[in-house]
Amino acid sequence: MANHEVEVVEKEVKQYIVVMVGNEQYGIDIRYIDNIVRMQKITRVPKIQPYFRGIMNLRGEIVSVMSIRRKMGLSDDEFTNASRIIIIKLEEKGAIGIVVDEVREVVNLSEEEIERTSNQGRFINGIGKHGDALISLLEINAVVDDNA
Amino acid sequence: MDVSQYLEIFIDETSEHLQNLSDCIMGLENDPENMDTINEIFRAAHSLKGMAGTMGFKRMQHLTHDMENVFQEVRSDKIKVNSPMIDLLFKCLDAIEGYLNNVKESSDEGTEDNEILIKELNNFIAMANGEAAASAEEAPAAEEKKEEEKKDSGDGRKYLEFELSDTEKGKIKEAEDAGQHVYGVTVYIQKECLLKAARAFLVFKAVEEVGQILAYNPSSQDIEDEKFEYDFSFYIAAEESFEKIRDVAKAVSEIENVVGEEVKYEALIAKQEKEEAEAAAAPETKPETQAPAAPAAPAAPAPAAQKADAGKKTTVAKPVTSRTVRVDIEKLDTLMNQVSELIIAKNSLVSLSSVESGDSQSQAIHDQIEYLERVTTDLHESVMKVRMVPIESVVAKFPRMIRDLSRKLDKKMELFMTGEDTELDRTVVDQIGDPLQHLLRNSADHGLEDNETRIARGKSEVGSIFLNAFQEGNNVIIQVGDDGNGIDVDAVRNKAVERGVITEEQAETMSQKEIVNLLFMPSFSMAKKITDISGRGVGLDVVKSNIEALGGDVEVKTALGEGTTFTVRLPLTLAIIQALMVEIRDEKYAIALGSISNIEDIPVEDIKYVEAKEVIHLRGKVIPLIRLDDLLDFEPMEEKQERLTVVIVQKGENMAGLVVDGLMGQQEIVIKSLGKYINNNKIISGATILGDGEVALILDVNVLM
Repeated sequence: MANHEVEVVEKEVKQYIVVMVGNEQYGIDIRYIDNIVRMQKITRVPKIQPYFRGIMNLRGEIVSVMSIRRKMGLSDDEFTNASRIIIIKLEEKGAIGIVVDEVREVVNLSEEEIERTSNQGRFINGIGKHGDALISLLEINAVVDDNA
Repeated sequence: MDVSQYLEIFIDETSEHLQNLSDCIMGLENDPENMDTINEIFRAAHSLKGMAGTMGFKRMQHLTHDMENVFQEVRSDKIKVNSPMIDLLFKCLDAIEGYLNNVKESSDEGTEDNEILIKELNNFIAMANGEAAASAEEAPAAEEKKEEEKKDSGDGRKYLEFELSDTEKGKIKEAEDAGQHVYGVTVYIQKECLLKAARAFLVFKAVEEVGQILAYNPSSQDIEDEKFEYDFSFYIAAEESFEKIRDVAKAVSEIENVVGEEVKYEALIAKQEKEEAEAAAAPETKPETQAPAAPAAPAAPAPAAQKADAGKKTTVAKPVTSRTVRVDIEKLDTLMNQVSELIIAKNSLVSLSSVESGDSQSQAIHDQIEYLERVTTDLHESVMKVRMVPIESVVAKFPRMIRDLSRKLDKKMELFMTGEDTELDRTVVDQIGDPLQHLLRNSADHGLEDNETRIARGKSEVGSIFLNAFQEGNNVIIQVGDDGNGIDVDAVRNKAVERGVITEEQAETMSQKEIVNLLFMPSFSMAKKITDISGRGVGLDVVKSNIEALGGDVEVKTALGEGTTFTVRLPLTLAIIQALMVEIRDEKYAIALGSISNIEDIPVEDIKYVEAKEVIHLRGKVIPLIRLDDLLDFEPMEEKQERLTVVIVQKGENMAGLVVDGLMGQQEIVIKSLGKYINNNKIISGATILGDGEVALILDVNVLM
């Protein structure tokens, strides 16, 4: 019986990395994250989608870097010491970097702590409640989708 | 072990033989009496039959067998090659190709028996020499039997020669104790056999159904790797008689002979011990002591040697086979990637060493780095050369295609090809076939006029289509064209306006070249009626996008009434290039050295205007200027320059002058893709990582001209 309970708990809890974009906390499902790197030189590429900042060299590989702020229509990124690039790896299209203002912590959220409502905006698939804080959970596929 | 591992070899070799057959049959059509060609066809059909049989593709084997029979008759001069026979043979080739395609897709030949073809083939044999055909077929069979029997009497019990390990001896004893018979067996494979290991595998599979193999010589691994001559031996434990084992082994095709007998453990051990003792006593005489151990052995090698001689005689006419190794393209890709990594590492050493100041040690480091640079460049060239294959493998099928088209369209035409030995990167060659085929079909279908029109126009009745390939700098050029009607520019213009592709006003101002280029727009087909050859509106646009995907481009030149030529330009290599690094403000860009013709320093006053566009007049040529800073969305410079650095790039006859801020020098760069997220804007063909880890973009100047 005890065993059974453990299993259920393991199934339901997901780990999220909490990042700051503007004054809002966002959670990214840890399974998508390949790496988190400090801000580094990003090479501008002319005539591409405006929400892309350019490309960077990640240990010998070229990775394109997008601005989630530009995509969400917020004011442009301001790079500080706390800025980070989250490297997301998707099976089909490979690696992509997303610039965030700050990386906060890793949280465990069980399904009961997540509120799933339909009208939460294009890039969010749920709201996580962690203590007093609310964390908007990013739908990564929508964030990197060119048409979204 | 399993036959499927031979599938790739089978597919490769079958394609080669098919191509060879196709070439030969084409040759035969023009010169039906050529004995060399006939022999070559016979051999190719025979090899195909053997390979199909080995892989267990019965239908394919059957068809090729009958083709071989027909040629047997031609060879012995009983029937003559004629036009219906050539047509039939081509149909057979198509059928075999059908089998091959099935094999490629599903590892199975499919269920098409091609009975009609087989019947027609047999008709040829019967028609030409009636009764003789049947008896001729029997005669060699009988002969074979005789030969076999003759061999049986010879002894080749090589299994006696191999030494058994202790565990193997143990197994033999065990089997004997369990009341089973143990047989020593030596199997001889026919010398012509192409997939010896597969044969051996089939033999093992067959005999293991009646018994259990206790020991192999050579080892099963060596047999699997084909590390043996034409025979192999094994000990097997079974309840059945030796004859049964011999029969199942012989049932496998291409097995020449199976010899063996029951062996007793005691005798075996005694013999081996005796040998060992003798060998220990007189090591120098070992070769002699082995002779009595296999007294009859020489009998077997003798006929074998004779056969080898005979084999040599028949192969004299064969073209010299090249000394090549088949390598999986993936392995080459891995190798290429590693070379790329090495070059990036070398580049970072170069940039580190240029920072150091000039004491004696840094001079030494510098020298070594220069040496390293030469080595990596050579290495890269070698790897590239390994990846290069002649385009022959692709274009070789075209003469046959044109021949078929000629019949289908009822137009007389001939294909002239040059430069089939021009080499290109393997990946490019694999993908260039379809576009070229399309251009040729285009020429045949709506390039060339019909016979009457040609005569009326005073042209030779037979239309010519040509395909010329050659290397030009870092590019390979393939021209495909015809001496037909040419493109009617006015007709294209009207069609474009009619379809709403361009407006009436646009049509007025467009140059002839721009109009012709409309043909490359999607869904723009000029064919008046749709045939299954061309005219479905999927055509030139696909050709263009296929070629562009390979980093190349295509141009068309036409003269009404005289013909049309498509010029396809392809890069020699895809991965590593020599590039000129240029600066625009604080950004660095790479331009492929191959497309640069020269670099000029030009005073601003020399800029002239043509149609409100900046041009320079250089050594008799008017060259349009392209301000890269403007093109690449930089802020305009605040202060006016007095002189401009202009990189002159060239594509065929087109030239352009690219204005840059500064030059940084030449460098070997590794081309990397921008990835799948960024929408390709065509001006940037990729990126590269510089020695200091910084990223520079690669300009594709071909799209600027």
